[in-house]
Amino acid sequence: MIIRCALLAGVLGLSTLSAQVTFERLLHAAEDNANWLTYSGGYRGWRYSSLEQVRRENAGRLRIKWVYQMATTQMVETTPLVIDGVMYVSEPPSNVVALDAATGRRYWRYQRSLPDRINVCCGQVNRGVAVLGDRVFVGTVDAHLVALDARTGAVLWDRAVADYRTGHAITVAPLAVKDMIVCGISGGEYGIRGFLDAYEAATGKRRWRFWTIPEPGQPGSQTWSGNAWKTGGGPTWVTGSYDAAQNLIIWGTGNPSPDWNGDSRPGDNLYTDSAIALDADTGKLNWYYQFVPHDVHDWDAVQVPVLVDDEWQGRPRKLVYWAHRNAFYYVLDRETGKFLFGKPFATQTWARGLEADGRPIRLPNIDPTPEGTYLWPGVQGATNWYSPSYNPLTKLFYLAVWENRSVYRKGEQEYSPGNRYIGSVPLIDLPEDPGHGAIRALNPKTGERVWEYRLQTKPWAGVLSTGGKLVFGGSDEGYLFALDAETGREVWRQNLGGIIRANPITYLNHGRQAIAIAAGNAIFTFELGE
Amino acid sequence: MLILLIAAAALPGQEAEVRNPRTSLADVAAGAKTFRSHCSPCHGLNGEGGRGPNLAAGRFYHGSSDADLLRNISTGIPGTEMPALFYNADRIWQIVAYIRSLSAAPAAPVGDPARGKALFSAKGCPQCHRVRGEGGRLGPDLTTIGESRAPAYLRQSLLDPDAVVLPPYWVVRFRDDSGRAHEGFLLNEDTYTVQFLDFQSRLHSMEKSGLQDYRVEKKSRMPSFRGALSDAALQDLVAYLSSLRSPGGSR
Repeated sequence: MIIRCALLAGVLGLSTLSAQVTFERLLHAAEDNANWLTYSGGYRGWRYSSLEQVRRENAGRLRIKWVYQMATTQMVETTPLVIDGVMYVSEPPSNVVALDAATGRRYWRYQRSLPDRINVCCGQVNRGVAVLGDRVFVGTVDAHLVALDARTGAVLWDRAVADYRTGHAITVAPLAVKDMIVCGISGGEYGIRGFLDAYEAATGKRRWRFWTIPEPGQPGSQTWSGNAWKTGGGPTWVTGSYDAAQNLIIWGTGNPSPDWNGDSRPGDNLYTDSAIALDADTGKLNWYYQFVPHDVHDWDAVQVPVLVDDEWQGRPRKLVYWAHRNAFYYVLDRETGKFLFGKPFATQTWARGLEADGRPIRLPNIDPTPEGTYLWPGVQGATNWYSPSYNPLTKLFYLAVWENRSVYRKGEQEYSPGNRYIGSVPLIDLPEDPGHGAIRALNPKTGERVWEYRLQTKPWAGVLSTGGKLVFGGSDEGYLFALDAETGREVWRQNLGGIIRANPITYLNHGRQAIAIAAGNAIFTFELGE
Repeated sequence: MLILLIAAAALPGQEAEVRNPRTSLADVAAGAKTFRSHCSPCHGLNGEGGRGPNLAAGRFYHGSSDADLLRNISTGIPGTEMPALFYNADRIWQIVAYIRSLSAAPAAPVGDPARGKALFSAKGCPQCHRVRGEGGRLGPDLTTIGESRAPAYLRQSLLDPDAVVLPPYWVVRFRDDSGRAHEGFLLNEDTYTVQFLDFQSRLHSMEKSGLQDYRVEKKSRMPSFRGALSDAALQDLVAYLSSLRSPGGSR
């Protein structure tokens, strides 16, 4: 027995977590290129790795290493994490598996038992897990946050974040910061009152909650009227970033509810469609910037904030780069939230431009009507939740873009708990006029397009850029591709036979650079062949 | 009471049929409203289908009884993207009433199906259209067209074939790098490749790079019968097409 225990410990020591994932380690996640420790690969939200084994000259030799198939009918939107040879992957709706990153063989699986009736606007999906210490954290579509033992998948605590019967759900990958797990909420199509929460990783106790819709009397409440704040939306369903030097959590918020009919909510509707910067210890609002005051087009600010320190007009400045669903690219000051610059990165027909403070100058006749209003960008925006990337070598900002329009229809809205509260139905795609997609590289200082890689269809996959000066992206057509980060020239592609609606990552497998991405119902990994 | 119980016991395995109690015109209108806000994102503004199936054909994959529809809307359909609706049964019955109204039998067309059938052959329709295995392959199979298309739609298709052309009948045209012209029905395409069926019924798949004058025309290959048929003949043809249904009736 003693011998068996010793053997077991030895095996575990070799194959799973050889080191705890400390906060210190997460602070340096972006430099730890053997691993992929957070949703965006580091707190600054760059989705960049300095790995350069796979380069423009040899990327044509990328070959599939292994495939992990999931049994699910839901879309797989997960970003895997890779920590010391173990890959942690969420499976929709709210399951988690730990895989051997070298073989794709499974160590354990956590299967969430879910109630029968769960409503998530856009599929029972999950975008990934967070890891802190020896624990894995997953949000669930029945709006719980669950802590799992990283070695066994055993449940350590399971906490209700909100009531799923009122349209709350968790699809976002949580973010581990200090000793806390920061977790957002979905439900902007169900009239929730949005929030961002922080929980103690050790106990599941809630440390703080920031309501994205202020209650009467609180700052910002003057931008609401009547009881609209109670069902005002403002979800937080895409993982934010962390500015360690300022101790600020910077996160995007989603649309006000109901989405396409603003009659019941006159005013700017703070803090919807905004970047919010919260004190990590208290959850108190430090600054905010609202991209779309009084949104009636569902143009959420659900993008990963890209935090960059660089020269701005001749002096060093802490910046946020943000390509928004509304088709404008923005630069914000990260110390104050002040708008510095904005410019369209895709076709848009709703704003003449931006005022000096960044407020959009709206064109006439852009609001949804019962008959329908045609506008660029479409309902799903010029970009959406899929991650952008910033590469410090090329100093370019990369993103997946949609070029299309929608007809926006306004309808009646009536709140009933747990049901859609959207104010009618926009036609999401015009079959005769589907538009197209692209991967674009922007100069983040000027917003100018440096190159474009055009796609037949509109992509739901994020991009990764690397020290090998490659940009990896994917498409609904099922292709994973590698582009020259400087020119956009395609250097490799592979048909994976399944829609890609996820973000790529890269890490080292026994010293060899590997790429991983979800496609169809599977995780695919790639390494250089001979 | 006792008699009722005995009567029920005499029918083992048969549940009393659940009937929709909310079928007035007002219920249909209320159901339409709920449908528009909750169901149409996937099933289309008029139930014609989209991300979710067509609900206007009167055929449902997960059961077609009133009880089936009530259950599927109330609790969702496991293993599919169909979610549950958090409404009381009355409100869901109204949705069922609306969905039923979409496939209510339209007034029978006025023409003579037998004369229409003769016209169908005489005008060369079978060159491209199949009916019960007989006919060509370049146009839609019409074996059950009467179930899925209303007479007005059929009439419009005969007079103005370009009005609605479904993607499998869009035509792609281009020249390859040797200058040779190609055309055919666009079956599929992506950023890099195109798959099409040429008008001699041969399948092709080609890389797009190097192709010139690549264009997709969303026009029908079918000639219009406007002016080519008398109104009476047109009605006969529509009556014939409307009569094309599966032998067992709708499922």
